[in-house]
Amino acid sequence: MARVQLSDLRKSFGQVQVIKGLDLDIADGEFVVFVGPSGCGKSTTLRIIAGLEDATSGAIRLDGRDVTRTRPADRGIAMVFQSYALFPHMTVADNIGFGLQLQKQDRALISRRVAEVAETLHLTPLLTRYPRELSGGQRQRVAIGRAIIRNPRVFLFDEPLSNLDAALRVQMRLEIARLHQGLGATMVYVTHDQVEAMTLADRIVVFNDGRIEQVGSPMDLYEHPENRFVAGFIGAPAMNFLPVRVLGTQLEVPGMATIPVPPGKEAATELGIRPEHLHVVDGLSADLSGEVELIERLGAETYAYVRVPGLPLDLTVRLPGETALRARSSIALKIDWTRAKWFNASGRVL
Amino acid sequence: MADLAPQGRFNPWPATIFVILCVLAVLFLLPTVGVLLSSVKTTRDISMGDLWSLPASLYLGNFAEVLGNPAVHRYFLNTVLVTLPATAVSITLGALAGYVFAKLPFRGSNALFLIIVAGMFFPPQVILVPLFRMFNGMGLIDTLWPVIIVHSALGLPICALMMRNFFATVPNALREAAIMEGASEWQVLTRVVLPLSLPALAVLATLQFTWIWNDFLWPLIFTQSDDKRTIMIGIVNLKGQYSVAWGVQGALSLVASLPTLLVFLFFQRFFIKGMTMGAVKG
Amino acid sequence: MEQHNRFWRVVLLAAPLGVFGIFVLWPLFSSFYYSLTDWNGFDPNYSFVGFDNFAKIASDRLFLQAAINTAIWMVAAIVLPTTLGLALALLLDSRVLGARVFKSIFYLPICLSAVIVGQIWIWIYQADWGLLNTIITEVTGEKYKYAWLAKPDTALWSVIVAWSWQQTGLAMVIYLAGLTAIPGDLLEVCEIEGATPWQRFRRVVLPLLAPSTVVVVALSVINSLKGFDILYIMTGGGPFNSSDTLAMHMYNESFKKYLMGYGAAISVVLFLIAMAIIGLYFRQLRKVDRIYG
Repeated sequence: MARVQLSDLRKSFGQVQVIKGLDLDIADGEFVVFVGPSGCGKSTTLRIIAGLEDATSGAIRLDGRDVTRTRPADRGIAMVFQSYALFPHMTVADNIGFGLQLQKQDRALISRRVAEVAETLHLTPLLTRYPRELSGGQRQRVAIGRAIIRNPRVFLFDEPLSNLDAALRVQMRLEIARLHQGLGATMVYVTHDQVEAMTLADRIVVFNDGRIEQVGSPMDLYEHPENRFVAGFIGAPAMNFLPVRVLGTQLEVPGMATIPVPPGKEAATELGIRPEHLHVVDGLSADLSGEVELIERLGAETYAYVRVPGLPLDLTVRLPGETALRARSSIALKIDWTRAKWFNASGRVL
Repeated sequence: MADLAPQGRFNPWPATIFVILCVLAVLFLLPTVGVLLSSVKTTRDISMGDLWSLPASLYLGNFAEVLGNPAVHRYFLNTVLVTLPATAVSITLGALAGYVFAKLPFRGSNALFLIIVAGMFFPPQVILVPLFRMFNGMGLIDTLWPVIIVHSALGLPICALMMRNFFATVPNALREAAIMEGASEWQVLTRVVLPLSLPALAVLATLQFTWIWNDFLWPLIFTQSDDKRTIMIGIVNLKGQYSVAWGVQGALSLVASLPTLLVFLFFQRFFIKGMTMGAVKG
Repeated sequence: MEQHNRFWRVVLLAAPLGVFGIFVLWPLFSSFYYSLTDWNGFDPNYSFVGFDNFAKIASDRLFLQAAINTAIWMVAAIVLPTTLGLALALLLDSRVLGARVFKSIFYLPICLSAVIVGQIWIWIYQADWGLLNTIITEVTGEKYKYAWLAKPDTALWSVIVAWSWQQTGLAMVIYLAGLTAIPGDLLEVCEIEGATPWQRFRRVVLPLLAPSTVVVVALSVINSLKGFDILYIMTGGGPFNSSDTLAMHMYNESFKKYLMGYGAAISVVLFLIAMAIIGLYFRQLRKVDRIYG
């Protein structure tokens, strides 16, 4: 298995720079997830690691060896594509064994290895089928089978679950987690779904506009975002942002009584509060009060979108599943100040 | 009205359309039927003005005459010797070029593609004189080589166009997956992309085979002696020999058309499908 | 990867571009050169005559005749098979009984060569016992019997009819493919909005068939510019050059009179006409592309 190092990686398409200098060290056996909005460069970075795109400058090392100019096949990397990329004219067995066939391996050895892989992925009864005859989940497992048969040093996943329906996605997520535990291989996984990122990752890399915003464990990113982008991107529903103004020793928040500036937050221009850190209270101890615009009931929990006079945007509040609140009812909220995040004008956390 | 009696209402349209189509079909078939009829009638019957009536008995003497003529054998062999290699080569060249234009585009590749496709539009007479001079210089006039070469080259535009359009429908991820598995570009083409393009290949094979088999201009220009002529020129040449033997001419026409008809019937299944993909989506 | 791609581009394009360059592009350019010479086809010695050949074209009465015929030929050979093919496709699209058989019948002539189509239609137009005159005699008596291919006023049009007979099937097939690609819900919308069949055809179906029309017209232009074989077989350009086209005229001058230089000059003019048409065509194409992608 292998350690993956990216140093000062850059990529331009024509005049447009899409990767603007990345440094990243992925440990042997680590499960790293790249997240970020579309167009942030996460997929391009993955394709550069795979060798499908050239880096404009910078280097990729696998176990210390520079592979920046190495052919994809010689890097010992396997990749699972979003569309699965199964060859429609080959059976499941031929799809899985394709790489070994290209290496002109002995036929008996290929069919033995294919049988082993099929066994671990529960594909044995499907070996003679064609991809068209498989369900989405089965196709995904074949794609994974094709990846693991060559014992690659690194696995790359490019949004592998986004074509599956919700239930299957959860199931395949567990299967990928199990696969990682079983193989202990280095895995790099691209997704725009932060639930996948939070559940699968040892470490999450948050991309934005061709740069890395922050790298850390899922809880680390949730609890200690370094900037407004990460704070807003990690966590669902997203964090509420309230504009604030510091006047001498007093802090002004629209819709709220002024409070003394907390120590060290003198440069704050914005206050961030997660929906789960707003608590419904009776009027007296409330920080904010407003009217419920809309209620979304998900069963186990409920989200209320609250209109507060003076605030430019509705506040999202997370409530228990059973709540008496309805749209148009008034609501009083208390902020859990210990979990509040403060941002300066350039978006850094104070 | 129609709403009141939805079940019993008589819609005159399908019947009208059917009748119109039948009339048109008869009109369309008449010329071909004429040839068929002539081929099974004696010259005497035809010259007595009895071409367009149903024959009382099948007369196979015309076919015997055609199939027993050694010149016809020679024409047929020559046509096969031209058509098969030229079809294969033009499709191969088209597939190679089409692959690059579809899967490995580069700066200026669209312009280059357009130049090649434009080759489909200009009249072949434009390059007639220089080609004649070129092949004359190579000493290839009155051999089958120039015909094979010219058909291979002039088939490239349509083949490259169709193959590129078809290859474009093969997802890029398939190529990338194969490359990740260690395939070279050549292996991607031969083991992944081409096996997926059989309908397009079938369409091209039909088009090119028919076009080259039926061609008249190039063998007319590049061959001179009778034993180098292809079947279409042969038919015209034999017109003199069989000048009033209309039945023999009819039989000869049928025999000469048989290969293209068979190829069409064989690939018909793919043809309509492939046409849709290559043409309308293109 | 880019290095690898570059390598394979060169490897894969070498043969097709080589063949195309040597046997199509190079002859195309040398055609311009030969059009400025008096080469006779076999003499290694020839001289450069400048624009004499083109000056000759300007005063060549037969060239003018051929150019007019080419224009008639092209317009008719595009309009007739296209309209007829569209009509057939519309009739067949209504799931009429035996549609498959009809399709094969209308398509059949495409498989035949120009030589054979020519042959068949010579028999139809044959003055004494041809089908056309036989029918005319049956209906009207001897009065309207006519030597269709042997008279200057009917020769060209007779060939155009034969040509349309052959080409209609191709237009039909492409239009049929286009019709099946029209989403059914669009036609249902027409029904709900209360469009008459004619409105539905004129306002919805026909515009949506534009991509098919593009293909049909392209193929017709290509085929009719090459319109040589069938004329050569049926009339040889006669009688009295009444069915001569530029392609035919060029062949006669080059390979019958061995005026290769003059023939090359005619072919250059033919090429320029073709390019002008292609230019117009591509401009139209871009408009269609904007809508249909």
